[in-house]
Amino acid sequence: MQKVHRFFFAFLIAMFFSLSLSGCYDSTEIDEEVYALAVGVDKGVSNIIRVTIQYATYKDGGGGQKSGGGGNGESAGGGKEEESGEVDGTVVATVEAPSLLEAINMLNLSSNRQISLFHTKMLVFSEDYAREGVMRYVEPLARYRQVRDSMRVVVCQGTAEEFIKKGSDYVGANMSKGMELSFYQSQNTGYFPDVFFHDFYASVLSPYGQSTAIYAGVNDFKQLEVPTNRELKLVTDLDMKPGQIPRKGGSKSEFFGTAVFDGDKMVGYLLQNETRFYLIATGKFQWGTFTFKDPQSPNYAFLLEITNSRKPEVEFRFEEGVPVIDLKIGLEAELVSSQSRINYEDLDRIAELETEVEKYFCDGIKRTIDKTQQEWNSDIFFFGKKAAAQFRTIQEMESYNWLQHYHQAEVNVDVDVKIRRSGFLFKAMPIQSTSAGQKGRE
Amino acid sequence: MTREGNFGFLETFSLIAIALINKVFYTSPMIIISELGTSAWLGTLISCLTSLSFFGLLYILMKRFQGQDLFQIFEKVTGKLVGRGLTLLFSFYFLYYTAINVREFTAILKAYSLPFTPISLIVLSLLAIAAAMAYVGLEGIARVAYVFAFPIFGGLVLILVLAYPVYDWDYLRPIFGYGLENTIIKGFLRSSAYGEIIILAIIINSIHGLKTFRQVGVNALLLKGVVMSLCCACILAAFQYPSSSEHLSGMFQLSRVIYHSRFLQRIEAIFLFIWVFASAVTVALSFYVSLQAYCRTFLIENHRPLLLSFLLLTSTVAFIPRNLSQILEIHVIAIREYSLLLVYAVPILVLFLALILKRGGKSNAKSP
Repeated sequence: MQKVHRFFFAFLIAMFFSLSLSGCYDSTEIDEEVYALAVGVDKGVSNIIRVTIQYATYKDGGGGQKSGGGGNGESAGGGKEEESGEVDGTVVATVEAPSLLEAINMLNLSSNRQISLFHTKMLVFSEDYAREGVMRYVEPLARYRQVRDSMRVVVCQGTAEEFIKKGSDYVGANMSKGMELSFYQSQNTGYFPDVFFHDFYASVLSPYGQSTAIYAGVNDFKQLEVPTNRELKLVTDLDMKPGQIPRKGGSKSEFFGTAVFDGDKMVGYLLQNETRFYLIATGKFQWGTFTFKDPQSPNYAFLLEITNSRKPEVEFRFEEGVPVIDLKIGLEAELVSSQSRINYEDLDRIAELETEVEKYFCDGIKRTIDKTQQEWNSDIFFFGKKAAAQFRTIQEMESYNWLQHYHQAEVNVDVDVKIRRSGFLFKAMPIQSTSAGQKGRE
Repeated sequence: MTREGNFGFLETFSLIAIALINKVFYTSPMIIISELGTSAWLGTLISCLTSLSFFGLLYILMKRFQGQDLFQIFEKVTGKLVGRGLTLLFSFYFLYYTAINVREFTAILKAYSLPFTPISLIVLSLLAIAAAMAYVGLEGIARVAYVFAFPIFGGLVLILVLAYPVYDWDYLRPIFGYGLENTIIKGFLRSSAYGEIIILAIIINSIHGLKTFRQVGVNALLLKGVVMSLCCACILAAFQYPSSSEHLSGMFQLSRVIYHSRFLQRIEAIFLFIWVFASAVTVALSFYVSLQAYCRTFLIENHRPLLLSFLLLTSTVAFIPRNLSQILEIHVIAIREYSLLLVYAVPILVLFLALILKRGGKSNAKSP
């Protein structure tokens, strides 16, 4: 009898505690929520802030059904879809409110499910707003339990609403996956930095350096010039802002460049090549292709695929009160094209080419650093980390205030490029033809 | 304390190490970093060395009275009335410690994971677990600690290792944070956060005596010092000192920034698991010690009938702080910065008293 009592007592206890397994006050079914993929912040008209949220509609598996035809927000569905804000299997809803989180709360009215920020991929600020200071919108997100630290921070030209609407993914059915993969293009190109929310927030508070964000814009596909019979000219040092890439097709939204901040205010931007130099100097450059004018055959180009061969070395010292920084960068290159078919991989030519390329990167990086010093006095390179080693205490460091002295720093850049390989070909043979001056003949 | 089961080195080490290290999941890193800045890791090592020194004195006391636990020594040295008074003081301290730990756990859990669950439900659930473990007794708690030690330490290492890409060790500079003097003073005061080591002296009769006492004590304190220092360094390296001073739970925040690819991210669930395991063991141990100390004071042989009343008493104390600010700025500071006045100072005073009164020593020693 004793055993039976014990068994029932244990059974009752187990049953009681099993109630908690069903979840309690905080349990939410997955399909009771909609997951915001992007959050955009613009200036309001009737109130201080206009917030745009994009969330998947779940109409086709996880990613949402893409609207037929149109794309870029111009769906074939016409008026009804435009009214509901449906864009490629997602809904883009906008509201004006006194604060960011209340705006998101109000946007729950646009959906029959609760909007959750647990899977938000990016936070987009319009450039106008970013230039006035973003902290009051970033701070609540840093406190808010739903926000992911792996969310990216973007500053766009024009309005964030327009930028979000024009962002479409044409590959695969999953908008969320597409959005996340689009940030990986930073690693594949180096045309924009991949800035996580936690990094951005920490950098805004940092005494070591200043923050950056992904610079973005909308391309109206009108940048491609009409073909004419003009003579072709090779332009290798293209400097374009986002939205100015001469292209058409694909997503209209594009990440291209770096937004530079001083504290929480955007003060300027780096163009795409400057962004590459910035990423190389900070060791964040993964790989990218660079086109150079062939010094011996100016109408032709040679292409190098560049990677950081080692982490950049930074040495910091004071010389008569002036901060001096020695920056040493090691790059590895692969010759992926020599249009002139001149054999630059020859032992007696390779050193010459390396010197040429080193000069290009050295000048470019120096120019970019100068720009951040003289135009904005914004240490986005975080040289302040090394400056901190010169002080024993935080009080000493903060009273010196590195961020104020950054523009006085003398920065010496030394780039070491090693051309290691030449793709699948080694010492290309000349083209044989009846015309004189065939490529490759010397 | 009366013999409450018997367990070996590993169980004892797991029990004490978990109780010591548990704080790393709470607000301790934030408080240390906000007070010491970039030298938080150094201050923690100073706390560890201070605690080792205190533990050395405690060891001398326990060696002088071999075969007796701390409460028996109190009575032997100071007399029954004062000795039992001190034991009761320890009972109240551990009750307060349990309540504030539970409340701190609840505050962080609500902030990060369960915003809509009532505080009372979380507090009572955790205390119910503590009471159930206390019902089983010290040996049960120690064996559970041994089982949980693997996921707790494994999970902790996993978080620290996986967050490696976000570390930049340059953020540990300037090396002396808010000043070397400040680091030493705060480091000394923060040795209170190692106060759980006193439990070893209370349960000494269950752990195979002085040898295990010394081995577990030294190893657990060193482990705590290294782990806490490493965690502070990693948090600083990931978030820099201004931002780290803001994060309620630096370790939770660290687990949130782990991002290796689309497939290896969002692993903070690991953190929640190990955190809850560690908290359950710590709360159960301190709850049990408080209960046993009370029983010893009033010569109550069986602690089980008192479980319910102690559970209610602890939950009442747990609800004293009105908000997070009170928890952090009054109660947590009282426990982790000033409790050394009780947990270290009282046994040391008793040691000096024993030396002056020539009590204990070889005449009292049992055969080895």
